[in-house]
Amino acid sequence: MDTAYSFAAMPISNYVFPNDLHVHWSMMIVLYPYITGLVDGAFIIAALYYLFDIKTLRPVARFSLLFALAFLCCATLPLLLHLGRPERNLNMLLTPSPTSAMAGFGYIYAVSMGVLVFIVLFVYRPDLVELRVTSKGWLQFLYRAMTFDSIDLSEDALVLDKKIIRFLVGIGIPIAVVLHGYVGFIFGGVKANPTWSTPLMPVIFLFSACVSGICAIILAYIVIRKIKGRTIDHRCIKTCIKTLTLFFILAFAFEMLEVFSHSYLRTGYHHMVEGLLNGPLADSFWFWQVKIGSVIPLIILGVMGIFNIKDRLYDFMAAVVSTILLLQVFLMRWNVVIGGQLMSKSARGYTEFHPEWFGKEGILAVIIVMVIPFIILFVFSRIFPFWTTGNETDV
Amino acid sequence: MDLSYRMRLLIVLISIGVLAGGGLVVKRLLIPDSFGVYGPYRADAIVEAALVPIRHGTNASCFKCHPYEANIHKNGRHHTISCEFCHGTYADHVKNGKKTGTLPVKKGKEITTLCLRCHNTEIKARKEKVIKTVAMPDHLKDQNVKITHNCNQCHHVHAPLKYIIRAKQITGLMEAGS
Ligand code: HEC
Ligand code: HEC
Ligand code: HEC
Ligand code: HEC
Repeated sequence: MDTAYSFAAMPISNYVFPNDLHVHWSMMIVLYPYITGLVDGAFIIAALYYLFDIKTLRPVARFSLLFALAFLCCATLPLLLHLGRPERNLNMLLTPSPTSAMAGFGYIYAVSMGVLVFIVLFVYRPDLVELRVTSKGWLQFLYRAMTFDSIDLSEDALVLDKKIIRFLVGIGIPIAVVLHGYVGFIFGGVKANPTWSTPLMPVIFLFSACVSGICAIILAYIVIRKIKGRTIDHRCIKTCIKTLTLFFILAFAFEMLEVFSHSYLRTGYHHMVEGLLNGPLADSFWFWQVKIGSVIPLIILGVMGIFNIKDRLYDFMAAVVSTILLLQVFLMRWNVVIGGQLMSKSARGYTEFHPEWFGKEGILAVIIVMVIPFIILFVFSRIFPFWTTGNETDV
Repeated sequence: MDLSYRMRLLIVLISIGVLAGGGLVVKRLLIPDSFGVYGPYRADAIVEAALVPIRHGTNASCFKCHPYEANIHKNGRHHTISCEFCHGTYADHVKNGKKTGTLPVKKGKEITTLCLRCHNTEIKARKEKVIKTVAMPDHLKDQNVKITHNCNQCHHVHAPLKYIIRAKQITGLMEAGS
């Protein structure tokens, strides 16, 4: 078709401002809250063990820390890919201003990175000290640096370590909550977009973050243990699922409350939001995110909580429900980030999103960005043993 | 070195403090001097922006050398439209009062594309009373011509209704002078 006429083929409806035709925050901005969310949830699991002494979580506690760290390393990757001039990103940290929401994220991110790294170092110190003795060359140098060049594993030192870990995890929780709550705030702070600018945004993001992170830990734990042919600690899975149930109920309730308050308040833009959810997002929101992604897991979780189920089946159901919820949270991010941009500021028309395959923000890039944390996790597994070795029953 | 574990941790803590403090110093050094004079931006940027050579001239700048087009343009429905939107900038064309470069002149199909950038019904940014739009190819079908016709075959590019009004006057659909 001739370029002059090709506009006629666009599936836009009503009045759409030319600058609203194109979705500017695309898939990379979907990944950004998704990845920070995984970090958050994984950290919650670790915190429950290290700070709240939920002993049954022991098998996954160390792994969750590494998982969180691996994903935290990549949390800014999608943002950098989204930027036209990524090399300028540090400029914003040089001259932060209260009107620049993103600079705030940069600082919070840096602090949480520092805290998480030190938590991992202290948690792993006994192992690292042991590994240091047996390693050679540059690896030994690395272990020496990571143990602060001390091989002191005396009772006294270990007690001190424990205290430090508790302290760091203690400040880690507010930092993790702020980290992800802030991501929600960044969306909530966009006054121009009526689907985003609600004070509930940080809350919704936070709870769904916990959901996705816990699911990721459950799934990763089950899959890795199965592949390695090792046993799965059923009590641990059970505790994870219980925690997950709590967070998921909260997340889902708030997601729905948001829709209800939109439709009850009938604010100026309500007709647009309603039209959006029932029009362009009817499938991805109502059908996939709510019916398939939320109601079904809710039923499964209910069954798992109420009935007595055989251990093996329970673990299997845990894996299934985690998979669905991981997708649900991804869809939720998608519907908020991309969905929110499908309506024009004219308050009269909707546009469509066409994902591209290649290109900086294409589907291929999404896959690569999601694979990198796992590569990092693999590298970590060479340095920090995931599971405590030897005594299988005591994992 | 034979330091106790506690000592080492203290050193780590102090190093973090020193690093953070050092970071603040580096941050100070890296911030441009004029930053923050008026607000959270570089004050010099204003001066620099003012020094950027002007590229656009306004329609008045074209009139004295193009009296023929000027005359048509000023009396047509496009009189509010910038010459430079359709032709490119003054700076690419004239320097020190002399013609120095050739401006692009759209031909054939390109003209249709140009017109539709503003007049396509699919672009719904503005209301009909601000700018009349046409749906393609319906507009050409309405006139009973092939859809390969270009806009300038009926509309004068500089005064789009010039011939159309004239035609209506000839056929008696419109009184002369309106
Ligand atoms: C709506 C877009 C538009 C605007 C506004 C416009 N022009 Fe043009 N002009 C054209 C097009 C298209 C042609 C080519 C006409 C053709 O080939 O039929 C053209 C042709 C010309 C030519 C003749 C070029 C040649 O060598 O054939 C000159 C000179 C010119 N325009 C000057 C001006 C000036 C001066 C103004 C402002 C007073 C102006 N134009 C405003 C679209 C425009
Ligand atoms: C200093 C006088 C002068 C000014 C001012 C001037 N032009 Fe021209 N322009 C010329 C001359 C001379 C030609 C060549 C005319 C010819 O070949 O018939 C020309 C040609 C053109 C052409 C035809 C393509 C070309 O470059 O040969 C266009 C289009 C045009 N001018 C547009 C403009 C527009 C738009 C402006 C205002 C931004 C403008 N001119 C201002 C002198 C001027
Ligand atoms: C920069 C945007 C722009 C471009 C490009 C443009 N126009 Fe226009 N046109 C306008 C505007 C704005 C008006 C209304 C001007 C007014 O009412 O003051 C207009 C008016 C008209 C009208 C009169 C409509 C009426 O009944 O009042 C016609 C016909 C027209 N243009 C045809 C054309 C053609 C043919 C072209 C291509 C050579 C063209 N336009 C290119 C902006 C543009
Ligand atoms: C076959 C001749 C012809 C061609 C080709 C043509 N037009 Fe027209 N156009 C007309 C006539 C005649 C009118 C006046 C209709 C009337 O007043 O009822 C008109 C009116 C318009 C109007 C004003 C519409 C309104 O609602 O009053 C616009 C805008 C316009 N044309 C743009 C274009 C554009 C853009 C192209 C090129 C894609 C184009 N025309 C091609 C004959 C033509």
